[in-house]
Amino acid sequence: MSQVDELPVKRVSRVARPELDRRQALSFLAAGVASGLAACSRPDEQIIPYVRMPDRLVPGEPLKFATTLALSGYGRGVLVSSVDGRPIKVEGNPKHPASLGATDVFMEAAVLSLYDPDRSRTTLHEGAIAPAEAFRAAVLGQNRLLKQRSGEGLRLVTGRVSSPTLLRQIDDLLGQFPKAAWHAYDPADDGSARAGAMLAYGRDIETVPHLARARVVIALGADPLGHGPDQLRSARGFAERRQPQNEGFSRFYCLEAAPTLTGAKADHRLALRPAIIGEVALAIAKSLGAAVRDAAVPDHLKELVRKISADLNSSPGSAIVLAGRTLSAEAHAVVHWINARLNAPVDLIDPVGRTPAGRQPQALDELVRDLKGGGVDQLVTLGVNPVYDAPADLNFSDASRKAPFRLHAGCYADETAELSNWHVPLSHPLEAWSDLRSIDGTASLVQPLIRPLYRSHTEHEYIALLTNGDMASPRDLVRRTWQAQAGADFETWWTRALHDGVIAGSAADPLRPAEPKLPQMPEPRAASEFQVVLQPDPSIWDGSFANNAWLQECPKPLTKQVWGNALALNPEDARQLGVSVGEVISIRSGGATIEAPVLVEPSAALGVGCLTLGYGRHRAGAIGNGIGCDATRLRTTKNPWTIAEAVITRTGRNQEPLTTQNIVRASDYVSELYPVRKVAVAARTLSAPEAERPPSLLPEAPPRSGDGNAWAMVIDTSVCIGCNACVVACQAENNVPVVGPEEVARGRDMHWLRVDAYDHGTATNPALGFQPVPCMHCEHAPCEPVCPVAASVHDSEGLNAQVYNRCIGTRFCEANCPYKVRRFNFRGYADGQEYANLGFESYLAQKNPEVTVRARGVMEKCTYCVQRISSARRAAERDDRTIGTDEVRTACQNACPTGAIVFGDLNQDGSSVNGRKSDPRHYALLGHLDTRPRTTYLADVRNPPTEGDGK
Amino acid sequence: MSDVLEPNAAAPAPWVSAYRASDVEITQAVTAPLFASPGKFWWIALLVSAPFVAWLLAAIVWVFYEGIGVWGVNSTVVWGVAIADYVWWIGIGNAGTLISAMLLLTRQRWRASINRFAEAMTLFAVAIAGLMPIVHLGRPIYAYWLAPYPNTMSLWPQWRSALVWDFWAIISYLLFSILFWYVSLIPDLATMRDRTRSRTGQLLYGAFALGWSGSLRHWRALRILHTTMAALGVPLVCSVHSIVGLDFAASLMPGWQESIFPPYFVVGAMYSGFAMVVVLALAIRWGFGLQAIITRKHFDVIGRVLLMSSIVMGYSYATEWFMGWYGGARSDRSLVAFEFTGTYAPLFWALLTCNVVLPQALWFPRVRRSLAALFAIAIAINIGMWLERILIVWNTLSHGYMPSLWRVFHFTIWDLAFVIAPLGFFAFLFLIFVRLIPAVSMFDMRELAHRENVA
Repeated sequence: MSQVDELPVKRVSRVARPELDRRQALSFLAAGVASGLAACSRPDEQIIPYVRMPDRLVPGEPLKFATTLALSGYGRGVLVSSVDGRPIKVEGNPKHPASLGATDVFMEAAVLSLYDPDRSRTTLHEGAIAPAEAFRAAVLGQNRLLKQRSGEGLRLVTGRVSSPTLLRQIDDLLGQFPKAAWHAYDPADDGSARAGAMLAYGRDIETVPHLARARVVIALGADPLGHGPDQLRSARGFAERRQPQNEGFSRFYCLEAAPTLTGAKADHRLALRPAIIGEVALAIAKSLGAAVRDAAVPDHLKELVRKISADLNSSPGSAIVLAGRTLSAEAHAVVHWINARLNAPVDLIDPVGRTPAGRQPQALDELVRDLKGGGVDQLVTLGVNPVYDAPADLNFSDASRKAPFRLHAGCYADETAELSNWHVPLSHPLEAWSDLRSIDGTASLVQPLIRPLYRSHTEHEYIALLTNGDMASPRDLVRRTWQAQAGADFETWWTRALHDGVIAGSAADPLRPAEPKLPQMPEPRAASEFQVVLQPDPSIWDGSFANNAWLQECPKPLTKQVWGNALALNPEDARQLGVSVGEVISIRSGGATIEAPVLVEPSAALGVGCLTLGYGRHRAGAIGNGIGCDATRLRTTKNPWTIAEAVITRTGRNQEPLTTQNIVRASDYVSELYPVRKVAVAARTLSAPEAERPPSLLPEAPPRSGDGNAWAMVIDTSVCIGCNACVVACQAENNVPVVGPEEVARGRDMHWLRVDAYDHGTATNPALGFQPVPCMHCEHAPCEPVCPVAASVHDSEGLNAQVYNRCIGTRFCEANCPYKVRRFNFRGYADGQEYANLGFESYLAQKNPEVTVRARGVMEKCTYCVQRISSARRAAERDDRTIGTDEVRTACQNACPTGAIVFGDLNQDGSSVNGRKSDPRHYALLGHLDTRPRTTYLADVRNPPTEGDGK
Repeated sequence: MSDVLEPNAAAPAPWVSAYRASDVEITQAVTAPLFASPGKFWWIALLVSAPFVAWLLAAIVWVFYEGIGVWGVNSTVVWGVAIADYVWWIGIGNAGTLISAMLLLTRQRWRASINRFAEAMTLFAVAIAGLMPIVHLGRPIYAYWLAPYPNTMSLWPQWRSALVWDFWAIISYLLFSILFWYVSLIPDLATMRDRTRSRTGQLLYGAFALGWSGSLRHWRALRILHTTMAALGVPLVCSVHSIVGLDFAASLMPGWQESIFPPYFVVGAMYSGFAMVVVLALAIRWGFGLQAIITRKHFDVIGRVLLMSSIVMGYSYATEWFMGWYGGARSDRSLVAFEFTGTYAPLFWALLTCNVVLPQALWFPRVRRSLAALFAIAIAINIGMWLERILIVWNTLSHGYMPSLWRVFHFTIWDLAFVIAPLGFFAFLFLIFVRLIPAVSMFDMRELAHRENVA
């Protein structure tokens, strides 16, 4: 009684009692039932079976479509395989200049994000589910208001925009509302590069280096081979110059504070504090004749500077100096001068993020200033998450509350959505129409592979709604952008552009700016305090991939850490601070304090701690919530990448960083398992001990008869940059399950392909090399004779096959595998005991139907992508031919940006594997065990500056 | 009473500690406890062991339900406690067969008082050992695929695998142990049939006694059968433990691929088996008041066996280390270094102490005669041998050829369950056994008493 009274219902003073007779009551009842039947049933829809099949659709056969995926706003062209309407695998688009047929981890993992059940599905108003109509009404209301005030108070926040359509729409929006403003930011952006270009050339210029044309590369805190929007192109360029049989083997110098992939692959690497690296840039300029002050370079570096300038001078036109994020704007300008002086193979282009009318976005700090001043009424955030990833000193979350109307459109209802009045779901790139430009300006279209899984829309539709109060079709919006440029026959052009995945001739023309100016480098401060250098994370980038389980479980290349980040410290620093691996320390800088576990990393510079971005999120989803520590809270707008005067204190707690494997540093193991040679002697045959052929109970190797195939793989460790693309590609292709942090802690990761890291340097100057290790497919496989039920068997083509149905799980095969490449399902990782939400229905759509999803209690391993071999064989048999040379490509091989992995048939004379097998650098891992592996390696080759007789 | 066997430590005969042990007295001494009420200690022991049985059952059910992921095994150390348990338990079984078969063939009459329960020990230990490889499997439901049965897949076991040899070794050893034990039990079952007052007992003992009447023909048939089986048993017990050794030796992992493993496993099994016999003999001797039948001389002899075994074990360990070093392979040398200094080094030192150092006390006759000391050493040996089994698995798998994947085992409470609970289960089975079946072979004992001239 009282409870009912407590309900906040409006009291009606007098209840009207309708006078109803029986007839009326019955007719009302009938009308009610009838209207209910009519209104509440599902809308009439017809389903029509395929009586006549569409031409290209064969059930179960994958179709490939070209589209484009963005990283930090830059597009990279991909080909997506779709089976029965489900996109399941991303591969690179060979025609696209930013992908060149390869992929990185983020592109590979996009299919998992598509099916992420944590994606935003509905419109939210003040955190509660709201009807889309209410959202539309609210936006229309704001639209009317804005029209009256010509847009005053409207602020649009985006990430880096390279999409010509979106840029055109922003022009429309700002044309409609002239007093509105557009702000853009990217958490992984290098602000000092832009400032440096302004200093040198007086304008915003982007640098596109061509490593393929560079014989000498000096990376000053730069990481061209590391993860990023330009990684694939740079890595390909690197690989082209690292073939010892060709002339002009390149030489990489790398001076860096935090370890990077470029540093790992460099021929000469030195860990230095960021300020000293800037001085080295100055010293190089000076030695090349620049009129600058004397650089404050410590004595032990002078010899190095001399060597570098000698190398630079001896390679005019083919030497590049690259400056990285930690360098100051002045240092960037100095580097511009050096490159101009060297006539370096660098293209300077206009930045892609400029609207057709020439508008450029404003920075985030201006927005925050306006927000604090109360001048912002409508804050529209499109596809970014500033509450999480804006530099902490902006205090964006507090400032944003000052805007009365806050709209957020995102793939996830993330931290920014939490603080917004309205959140609307954004379509995943694989569901969307759009277009993107790559870092060199090449445009390509984004086409949907699937209808949006949820009621989401693209950025284009939301901008259109905001501008015109009307959600136009995104496809029409994109077509309208290109109509003008396509010429007369637009439909043909459109089809061609969609088919190729790249718009021909759209790359930016290199600029020919005047001679760059040399700025005055400020005198270096004698800095001795402890610094923290931040980097985007090699697994989850800026945190936008935090809810992707593949990426969370992808071992970071240099530390092998998964499911979290840690402060990497030089052992000497760790000793001085009195901390050890796994100890949680607190890092204080400015007013912010964060806590992170310690990881001892010999590659880190003295006095510098290294931390990656992207962790510590609380609204990422079931996978990413609460993982790692949030380095963004240390960032400032002025110094987003180096945190000066960081104070480290011990907390006394422990939290062991999770790693999947060890970095091998024991020199005797390194020299046996990972031979490294200098380029001068690369042509000599490896003096590996000739494998003894002791008597064996095993049959001889399967015959390599003329008609059969003999599959083999050769991996060139010299060009492997350890980027992990192969690891995630294998995971996507082969339905490799994620096990979660608890199981990783117990040593049970499931990756079929791992990348071993070997340190072939010295204790104080480590040098890492990478060795991808899939199954060796041994001709004398130790796993086969020990299996009691013949689940591990050899096929006639040399594949070491695992029959999942037959496996009973004795695990003797893995116990006896010297390479430890087999993986056991200790739990039902894909079979009822999944981690977090990974067992949800939507993820099932990603599974490759050609590959078994393995049950609990079963051993599994690399199959050389037997499903691809089989599909090539079917195609060949259909055409009555043999499988072509190098026709079969494994998933790891396809992903590899440097072409380190080569797969093929030993029985075909011209095959690439045969070519590599005859390379003098060829060796078999643990060859002395006489396992006769089919997967073999080429030794790493380095080109260090000190010439000497290497072995 | 004239038919009570009175133990007397001063009696001159070495194998019967009494001045007089007539047939009736021996029979009475062995059977009387079976017809009397079990007594407080038996009940307490049973109640203590019963929860362990429940624990083991629960652990097995949990492993079947949740998967072997509940253990500390991982992608590198793929084997764990189940394998160590298997090797250890089947090793425990060794002594029973050796005492019965080998000592029978070599006419060591003193075995008479201990062979029965030692064989029972074998039986239970092998049964527990046989469970372990099944629980160990990822998909235990398909354990029967190890058997060559006609099936629609036309698939047979893969005969080159040591695990298939193992399957046959366990099966044949278990069957043999049951038969051998049963054959030697028949005359005593007949005695029980004749002496029991309960109708059920008469029926059951009678049925299992197979109509034994003690005729000369029966005795002759029994002797022939028993001796023949003993002659089969000795090679069988050696082959079983050799095959267990081959589970490791027929691989190519450092620390496993060693030709010494088969004999070394046979001796190791004998070692742990005899240590367990000491523990059980002490318990039975005390529990049933059989001081006259299980004499200090028995313990002295077993002490010598243990001493000899410990020297052989020490020699085997030293051979392993020497060959690891002398072979020169880096993987082997590195493994030996890892054993002494790596993650499991404390356990390894404990193993050496238990198996090699402590048993050297048995050189002293005083220690051999001190039952407390012998008991302590026997327990230490059993612990040491279990450590040896688990370390064979852990060390090699943790420290293989690829340093990138060197990992350690993460011991969980479910691993602990499989270490402890089977011991309770074993004790439970043994407690039931001593209440149902004469724990000492009466007919052997009577014969011994006659030979010792005390009858």
